[in-house]
Amino acid sequence: MPTLTIDEREVSVPAGASVLEAAEALGITVPHFCYHKALGAVGACRLCAVEIQAGPQHGLRMACLVEARDGMVVSTTAPAATGMRRAVIEYLMLNHPHDCPVCDEGGECQLQDMTVAGGHGVRRYRGKKRTFPNQELGPFVEQEMNRCIQCYRCVRTYRDYAGGHDFGVLGVRQRVAYGRFRPGRLESPYSGNLVDVCPTGVFTDKTVRFRARVWDMQCAPSVCPHCSLGCATWPWARYRELLRVSGREGPRTNGFFLCDRGRFGSGHANHPDRPRTPRLDGRELGWPEALEALRERLTKLTWAHGPGAVGLLTSGRASLESARALGLLGQALGGAPVVCEPHPRRDRAVRALVAELGQLGRDQEDVRQSDCLLLAGLDPEGEAPMLALAARQAVRRGARAAVWDPRPDRLPFPARRIARLPEALLEALARPDGRAPDGLEAAERESYAETRAALQAAERPVLLGGADLLGPRGVRLLLAAARALSRPGRACGLSLALPGPDSFGGALLCPDGPDADELLAGIEAGRVRALVCLEADPLSEHPDPARVAAALGRLELLVVLDHLPTASAARAHAVLPTTAAAEMDGAFVNHAGRLQGFARVYSAGLPIRVTGQGAHPPREFRPDTPGELPQPGWAVLAALAGEPVELGELRAELARSEPRLAGLAGLVAGGPGVQLALEPSARERPDTPAEPGVAEGELALLSVEALFGSEPLSARAAPVAGVASEDALALCPADAARLGLGEGEPARLRSALGEAVLPVRLAPGLAPGFALVQRRFGGPLEGFAPGGGPIACRIEKGGAR
Amino acid sequence: MTLWRSIRGTLAALGVTLKAIFRRPATIPYPEVKRVPAPRYRARIVLTRDPRGGERCVACHLCSAACPVNCISMQAAEGPDGRRYAAWFRINFSRCIFCGLCAEACPTLAIQMTPDYELCRRDPLELVFEKEDLLVEDGGKDRDYDFYRHAGIGVAQARGEGSEEEPPADVRSLLP
Repeated sequence: MPTLTIDEREVSVPAGASVLEAAEALGITVPHFCYHKALGAVGACRLCAVEIQAGPQHGLRMACLVEARDGMVVSTTAPAATGMRRAVIEYLMLNHPHDCPVCDEGGECQLQDMTVAGGHGVRRYRGKKRTFPNQELGPFVEQEMNRCIQCYRCVRTYRDYAGGHDFGVLGVRQRVAYGRFRPGRLESPYSGNLVDVCPTGVFTDKTVRFRARVWDMQCAPSVCPHCSLGCATWPWARYRELLRVSGREGPRTNGFFLCDRGRFGSGHANHPDRPRTPRLDGRELGWPEALEALRERLTKLTWAHGPGAVGLLTSGRASLESARALGLLGQALGGAPVVCEPHPRRDRAVRALVAELGQLGRDQEDVRQSDCLLLAGLDPEGEAPMLALAARQAVRRGARAAVWDPRPDRLPFPARRIARLPEALLEALARPDGRAPDGLEAAERESYAETRAALQAAERPVLLGGADLLGPRGVRLLLAAARALSRPGRACGLSLALPGPDSFGGALLCPDGPDADELLAGIEAGRVRALVCLEADPLSEHPDPARVAAALGRLELLVVLDHLPTASAARAHAVLPTTAAAEMDGAFVNHAGRLQGFARVYSAGLPIRVTGQGAHPPREFRPDTPGELPQPGWAVLAALAGEPVELGELRAELARSEPRLAGLAGLVAGGPGVQLALEPSARERPDTPAEPGVAEGELALLSVEALFGSEPLSARAAPVAGVASEDALALCPADAARLGLGEGEPARLRSALGEAVLPVRLAPGLAPGFALVQRRFGGPLEGFAPGGGPIACRIEKGGAR
Repeated sequence: MTLWRSIRGTLAALGVTLKAIFRRPATIPYPEVKRVPAPRYRARIVLTRDPRGGERCVACHLCSAACPVNCISMQAAEGPDGRRYAAWFRINFSRCIFCGLCAEACPTLAIQMTPDYELCRRDPLELVFEKEDLLVEDGGKDRDYDFYRHAGIGVAQARGEGSEEEPPADVRSLLP
């Protein structure tokens, strides 16, 4: 702990910290461009000059590059330091264009701030300004290279931090430029971070080009709703439109960065077809009439047929409070149980995790700090993109990584890979002797043994998995393996990607309710006559859409509460509009059992872009806001139950009734959240039967999530809808050759999920015996709900597309 | 004494009145006669045009940020040539206090104050001026200024062809 003096104040900092970080600990901001907490220091911008007056070094130094030492005396305000900073700003501004009024960075530009703060106003140099050609970098990022100050933050983020390959630095002398070798879409799933890290306006968000100034926008600390990781975000809204999302510092979760799905997928809140008015039997109603009529019908059904006549279904998309309010509606209806996920296998997998996780859950920060990682049945790019980035940071620090997954390897870091389903391997890992399973090849056996030894030797091992591929049995095996690898005083952590942002919280609230199949059986048997879906879309998420469609047709009343125009909402008798996450206060429990609150950014309403039809807002006086009717799910449900509550009351009730959620009472949005005090369930762990496998010689179909287009929220966001990859059937070249199929040729795919004719894509990384499709909304694969694990399929040449 | 004081007071006041009868009146019979204020008088706000006749306003939001009464609102948009412009621009004159901060803030000299002070309307909604009401076919006070000529990002002219710019660098060249 070196102790040094900065600006006549003493501070002690951890060994290895720089003078800049020491100053920051005192609350003194040393101006800087190239230094970034997550990227470290390179000393490229020369702005953070300070004068070191005593200690091991003397004179003008770069604060970010000098390690803080005992006895140092540093001045950030010495004339030499301020003079240097003034000169650096003047140099940087020599070539900077005179275009702040038309630059989207204006108002949040570090260069602008520093220039104004340093008092630079007149360009004394009379020479000409250097210019660059720009590049077209795809639909997300706009480049204006003339604004560049050569701080190297973009390259360090894109290549070093995120492992991208198609972006770099070119040129010599003062012609140093950043971009791709050829113009084209940035391939990395983390390309949007360029917008956040660029200290000036070289990289700006193309999806909201010229849409708003930062000071005009509403924003509040929020949690990303696009996967289960719970990354910290700032959503920004203006004129009742959710415009953009930027990364918020989440020390336990995302650090600083976001994936492109989380950043550019927020447009679902502005969807033109989004339900905005309560609708009952095709008629639009006000809230009081709609709720009164529905309450009467639900109560009548309960009286006539008993409390089981109403089914309640939620999903991982709904907030914790909304899920609780659905439970309260069930109680008000005499004890109707809640089904917490429309996909029964996903449901059981999440519940298996919640029941047994205990204190083994690991956030992204634990993954970043880990020294040995095993990714079993996880494809982070589709299921939890930021988890790959966290794992990459661990690998960059020297951690070993292994992957057990039949899917092609798309990880941004090197890992030892066994291209097989992880179940048998995990079963072996969970056994005390850890003997490798039968049927492995010699190289695979060696790889398995090495991974097992590394996990045992590691100080902070973490097992990562995906609930979609593993299923309940796989999740239990992963948990068993984590327990088997734990020793007293050193636990082996576990980080499992779940289907939705609050899948964990939903399962916590209904640990032993029925699953969606039991609900469907109830509908088919005529026991269940009405169904209330809270932000759930069984038609798209259940593995048997035909069965769901038939069952929904038998219902006397289907009530859908949602803010998305889902397939189920289109068939519902009653649609009650709810608010999106950015339009309400609420909480999610992330994949590792961390409870995080999010705050309302803006109030729901029809965007002015819609009411004004692109021109100026309507010239009229009116007391209400058009499209203001959507209400938070919990508020609608509480009103439907006849007991309207405030959010605070609901949270207090929840904290009382569920001791593990006690942290909810004092939860603040924007804070680090609360790690739930979970105890592994004392109940006997049921031995989940193995799933019906796929017969020898048959291809196993995996329907998985893609980065864009699979997740229900971002799939309905305008900027993302255009970039989802083409629907295709991926086969390994050997299987394709056996079936007589070549790249791009149409193939007919038949499976329990449905039938589709798709072009074949040869995927050399895919394990033989597997066929891979990525679900995409709005295409032939819409019904191929992910989460089903490997299922039998038949593929033949063919057919017109 | 009291009587004398009263008489003197009446006559003195009458004298003041008589004197004022022969003085030039301070008031003018508006609206028959209209006063012409100084050119820098701050009244009705207009949006001016650049020397080539294009809209000067780039919808940078600096006027609305400077406005102390929040009477300016707008939406920026991108033209086909990459030009940033105001898709709509609205000033609510029923709220405006004619302080001139918007004109002072404007980096492109688009928004300017004029001496036209006749802004009364019977319907408050008529005081909400849209862009077409604000735009004038003139450069206003500094006719020669053209922001995009100096912006340096290749909108009004090709990249690197502005008067203060070098041609675009060839980043693949290794020559010194």
